[in-house]
Amino acid sequence: MIKTENLLKQVEVAGGQLEILKGIDLEIKSGESVAIIGASGSGKSTLLGLLAGLDGASGGAVFIDGVELGSLTEDQRALLRGERVGFVFQSFQLLPSLTALENVMLPMELVGSADPAGRSENFLRRVGLGERMGHYPRQLSGGEQQRVAIARAFAAQPDILFADEPTGNLDTETGSLIVDLLFDLNRENGTTLVLVTHERRIAARCDRVLQMDSGALVEAR
Amino acid sequence: MAMTAFRMLLRDWRAGELGVLLAALVIAVATVAGIAAFTGRLQAALEQESHRFLAADKVVQSSRELPASWRQEAQARGVAAAQTLSFPSMVYVGEDKMYLASIKAVSDGYPLRGQLTFSDQPFGEVRVASAGPNSGEVWLDSRLFPLLQVAIGDSVTIGEASFKVAAAARSEPDQSSSMFGYGPRVLMHLADIPATGVVRPGSRVQHRLLFAGSEQALLDLEAWLRPQFKDGQQWRGIDSAQPGVGRALRRAEQFLLLAGSLAVILAGVAIALAARRFSERHNDYVAILKSLGATAAHINRLYAANLLLIGFCAAVLGCSLGWCLQALFFALFSDALPIAPANSGPLPYVLGAATAFVSLLSFAWPPLGRLAAASPLRVLRRDMPITGQRSVADFGLGLLSVTLLMWWYSGDLRLTAAILAGLAVSVVVGSALALVMLRGGRVLGMRAGSIWRLALAGLQRRGSSNAIQVVIFAMAIMMMLILVLVRSSLIDDWRAQLPVGAPNHFMINISAAQVQSVESLLQYSGIDSEPLYPMVRGRLMSINGEDLTNTGDAEQGRRQRETNLTWSAQLPEGNTLLEGHWWPVDISEPVVSVEQGFAQRLRINIDDQLEFRVGSQPLTARVTSIRSLQWQSMRPNFFLVFPRQSLLGYPATFMTSFFLPADNKPFLNELIRRFPTTTVIEMDIVVEQIRQIVGQVTAAIELVLLIILATGALVLIAGVQSSVDSRMHESAILRALGARRRLLLGGLLIEFAVLGLCAGILAVVGAECSVYLLQTRVLDMSYSPNPELWPLGLAAGSLIIASLGVWSCRSVVSTSPLRVLREL
Repeated sequence: MIKTENLLKQVEVAGGQLEILKGIDLEIKSGESVAIIGASGSGKSTLLGLLAGLDGASGGAVFIDGVELGSLTEDQRALLRGERVGFVFQSFQLLPSLTALENVMLPMELVGSADPAGRSENFLRRVGLGERMGHYPRQLSGGEQQRVAIARAFAAQPDILFADEPTGNLDTETGSLIVDLLFDLNRENGTTLVLVTHERRIAARCDRVLQMDSGALVEAR
Repeated sequence: MAMTAFRMLLRDWRAGELGVLLAALVIAVATVAGIAAFTGRLQAALEQESHRFLAADKVVQSSRELPASWRQEAQARGVAAAQTLSFPSMVYVGEDKMYLASIKAVSDGYPLRGQLTFSDQPFGEVRVASAGPNSGEVWLDSRLFPLLQVAIGDSVTIGEASFKVAAAARSEPDQSSSMFGYGPRVLMHLADIPATGVVRPGSRVQHRLLFAGSEQALLDLEAWLRPQFKDGQQWRGIDSAQPGVGRALRRAEQFLLLAGSLAVILAGVAIALAARRFSERHNDYVAILKSLGATAAHINRLYAANLLLIGFCAAVLGCSLGWCLQALFFALFSDALPIAPANSGPLPYVLGAATAFVSLLSFAWPPLGRLAAASPLRVLRRDMPITGQRSVADFGLGLLSVTLLMWWYSGDLRLTAAILAGLAVSVVVGSALALVMLRGGRVLGMRAGSIWRLALAGLQRRGSSNAIQVVIFAMAIMMMLILVLVRSSLIDDWRAQLPVGAPNHFMINISAAQVQSVESLLQYSGIDSEPLYPMVRGRLMSINGEDLTNTGDAEQGRRQRETNLTWSAQLPEGNTLLEGHWWPVDISEPVVSVEQGFAQRLRINIDDQLEFRVGSQPLTARVTSIRSLQWQSMRPNFFLVFPRQSLLGYPATFMTSFFLPADNKPFLNELIRRFPTTTVIEMDIVVEQIRQIVGQVTAAIELVLLIILATGALVLIAGVQSSVDSRMHESAILRALGARRRLLLGGLLIEFAVLGLCAGILAVVGAECSVYLLQTRVLDMSYSPNPELWPLGLAAGSLIIASLGVWSCRSVVSTSPLRVLREL
């Protein structure tokens, strides 16, 4: 389902080039859950950005279901994301001007799916926010905001879900609840999950754990 | 898609995201439409008001009888017409009482504009007349009743006809336009003229044909009439009939246009600032949308649809508000503006709506259009650079659209160019200077205490955005300074022309023998008067031996002129020497000083030899100087001034002008009784009318100034707001690190005060440049530097911006740092 070949990422810095990813080869099967762990600055989030087509690689290739992302334009990648990919971010990334319900509806509205409101309401109820659909992000706690983000990610029924440090901005207790929810929904929907985290405890719940170390990837389990 | 755009717009609106941009737009549209409508209505009203001075919109004036067909033609074209005939004549009562009066015969329909007033008794209660005297009746000036010892109902004789005295004549709208305005007025009906037998071919009379109608009909009529004009016949409007009023109105009109143009610029800047903040805040928004699958085209359509909807709402709301604004002005200041406002038409509102869409397209669209290029990676990395930053091309587009709007609005290229020149100085020199000053500040700050180091480091870190902010502040302050300065010099200029106590009566035909007694009487009675000037009536016959023609338009070209010559040892008061030198006291050569306009019309230069005929005697003089003078000053003014020796031996009478307050009017009777051969010209009503118009225009200008100041303040607030987010963020971090309230607020205060000070300096320099160009090239006024501007500009800059800045960021010390960091 997801495959990379010698994936490189370099950035220009004062005094030369910095290699963030040094030739990553990786394969993730459909329905599999994979955790990417590593120290801060090891390149985890960069790899996630490239896998999701949010950024372009400096070399090598990323394939999703055999389609090479580098051959697509930014707009084609956006369409691919809209149809097949869901996200859960560390900083939630809800639109502050939209209510919880509208935030969940947004990706479905963008691709023109049927009955975005009905599906969104179902998922909000599923994450325990049935009573707070009309609330704005600023009226919700961090944990509640992340639950909205999870509902948004699953409501569009993506094939792949990318989660970037989903508990990074939450306390331990709330973080556990969010992780439970994420894995429950992932199981229910049969989604492929790529999870970036620095917490081994969360990573351990995935089928496979990959360790990033100074831009290189090693199989940890 | 359209539905999504609309829904997102509604959601943005509900969340208050669009509030700032929409408010800036609505205020911009309201200001432009409101000022345009206000000035439009005021201009139209002042124009109508000024026609009071003519008693019509246009007038044909002639010393010959005017064909009856002209009046019929005008009426056939839908133009109202009336006729007057003025001449000096003796009015008799019985055999022994007589007085030289200024007779004016008026037709039915007179006056076409303004009001004719009368009273039932001399000096009685003034009433507005619906028509002039009936046939067989006359109205006498109140002053004539005691002079002729008559009462209402008595009979007086003019020429061969007798008339019943029906009322006291008090005022006519066109009182000042009569050539024979000397002496007390007698009004009669035009139909009675043949019976008097006093008007014969060759009589000194003035025929006036009055017209009132639509502008187009009058233009058509003028085109039909002009080819038929004979020598001495003139087509006159308010400009040629009352140059003083005309000039005041023209300048007021230019001022109002200037004010409106500045409103257009300020509005543009406010929109630009609001749109920039809007686009910066939407960078994250777009990144999320793109990560969720929105394409660039999708995002462009979304924001284009949003802008269209915003523009439409702003146009409707802004125009409505603009209408209310101008209605409110007229309602609030109806006492200050006793004239009834005319209709402004739809143009101001079209202009307001156009301002909204043009501003959105040129100021708001460029950064929003670039939002589609925002990287979706921002959802993972907040440190990605923000797209939508302004480029040089954006400024170019903004400048071009503001220029075109301003030009369309004012219709005056020179005015637009003068403002743009000042702006260019501010922007180009300003950006460079701001950067240098801000960098210099950093060097100083390194040696200063922590508050200063914090403030100056902040200034340097945001160097280029601070430079832009300084330029924006400078522009707003500059616009306000320009307006304050131009308004002050305009009003001062008017007041200087007609100061309180300016002469309002002329006394002419004083013989040399009477000079001493007249001077003594005026002095003894405490009347403030000008010196007595000699007048020698002479005719200019040739220039440098080249004989001048005796025909042609009396007002124009190189032709023979009959005019009053005077002598003076010194340059007369209120005159300015433009070329050549004033003569020494003991000069024996016959020389002459010529007024600038006269010299231009007759193409006279220094050292030309002018030949005159005075009675039957010749007089030749060399031109030694050219002078300018103020014709509106109500002082005795002369085209030609000689040394005393040059005019000795020619017959001279004397003239003076003096100020007589309204309650001392009976003094005129004593003056005329003591010196019956002299003539007094009463200008007090004209002076009062001009003063009234100037007062109304001044009130209007003050009002418009207030609106512009309010708009300028809005731009300053928008400017401060645009940088508040990043400053709040930094301050919150510092506060989290333990910075005290005093340090944070002190740092912010210094940072904004330095920005304001830089802006103040630039604003003063830019304002001086613009005011110089405006006054010398557009408003036809003299320019002098304004040192008082420096403290005003600098204080306004630093104080206002420092207070606004600290006020906008005040929540950083009253809200928890975590909350500030989370919200931004």
